[in-house]
Amino acid sequence: MIPVNRSELPYKIALRVVFAVLAGTILSACVTSRVEHIKEGTTGIAEGEAIVIMAKSYHLGNETEEKFIECVGDSIGRGRDGLRVIPNQEFVDALFPWFEPRTAPAETKGLPALMSRPGVAESIKRQGVRYVVWLDGDTDKTAGGGSMSCAIGPGGGGCFGFAWWQNESEYEATVWDLDGLEDAGTVSADFSGTSFLPAIVVPVPLIARTRAKACKGLADQLKLFIVADEEV
Amino acid sequence: MFVAALCGCAGSRVSLQNPTIPEPLIEKLQISVAARYPSAFDNFVHEEQVIGKEKWTIDLGGANRLLFTQLFGSMFTDFMVVEGNAKPSDLQIDAFIEPSIDAFEFSVPNQSQKDEFAVWIRYRIKIFDGAGVQVANWPIAAYGKSQSSTFGGDEALRRAAVLAMRDAAALIIMQMDKSTGISKLRDTSARSNSAPPPVIPNDEGVQNFVAEGIRDDSG
Repeated sequence: MIPVNRSELPYKIALRVVFAVLAGTILSACVTSRVEHIKEGTTGIAEGEAIVIMAKSYHLGNETEEKFIECVGDSIGRGRDGLRVIPNQEFVDALFPWFEPRTAPAETKGLPALMSRPGVAESIKRQGVRYVVWLDGDTDKTAGGGSMSCAIGPGGGGCFGFAWWQNESEYEATVWDLDGLEDAGTVSADFSGTSFLPAIVVPVPLIARTRAKACKGLADQLKLFIVADEEV
Repeated sequence: MFVAALCGCAGSRVSLQNPTIPEPLIEKLQISVAARYPSAFDNFVHEEQVIGKEKWTIDLGGANRLLFTQLFGSMFTDFMVVEGNAKPSDLQIDAFIEPSIDAFEFSVPNQSQKDEFAVWIRYRIKIFDGAGVQVANWPIAAYGKSQSSTFGGDEALRRAAVLAMRDAAALIIMQMDKSTGISKLRDTSARSNSAPPPVIPNDEGVQNFVAEGIRDDSG
């Protein structure tokens, strides 16, 4: 019989957990991606001009995650080539009630009427907002399977089994140019990947971080889309 | 508390802490208006036991009074809140507003199978002219939703309720005059001050002024 030092058990369990977390952090599953844009006209942004990242209205059934909108805004604003991003709540509050989920214009043809309302054009000019980016889409779990069971007892614990699931992140950004009151174009990002969770005592997650990658991919492409003054 | 948790009937209580709306970018209607808030509107509490799950209590407290006072103050050039049983005819005003809540509903992630809380509030706004005759009875349905993964359970429900109230405010700003004709009461009031007293309109006359398709079913 092998003697067991019971005082070491918590450390062993902690070590397994740390190992699993580290493995999950270092290892990640493959993600396939497609990012593309369609430009309707020339773009460009001058110093002092800003953009706002908004979610399309939930009154229209949109379910874009608030964390995703934050992520895209942070990514576009980050770095030496970062653009000035106005927090969307600040923008919506300054223009109350014209950019509420119920009242925000659904198409650019509503912009001239909106701009003619008292104080709207002045408020937009004061904030320096040149582009409004409307985000649509979400991340869904499209498939999954496998099984896993975990147990814990006085002698320790562990998991055995295998689980997998597939995530699809599909987002589209529609860019409105408030200078010309026109649709500047769209940027779309489709990311999909399958996550795996094999476990032989310790589960080792291989996570396909489709939403995080879609955020980065969409933000980088949006930055290029807005800054590059290219012809259609 | 432990027993309550074991039997699955632990409750959550959500209170709204003085939500406000930003100053709206609108032109005020040139009209003098007073509002009275019924006590059920002033201290609205909604309790609901989600089937097989926990009990939720949503306490709007003074949030409705605060929001509507701020809203009407931004919409009309002359606005005041009256308490008790003050009669419109004693107040020298063009219009008198009495808002109420017809229904309050919400859904939690367990019900919708989505990572979100949603709140629906159905308000009813009754409008009376300066003589105290009801001229409009306008129901409005407001909606707000908030993701629980971003804000956590209680905070997400609170935020959804605030968004629903803000939605109601936006709807009132955009539609109130079109749906109730409140701005016309100024002309009516001016005429009645300068001319001999008109004949008090009968029920049919009142109905002509009520928003189209809206029936006064309040009894």
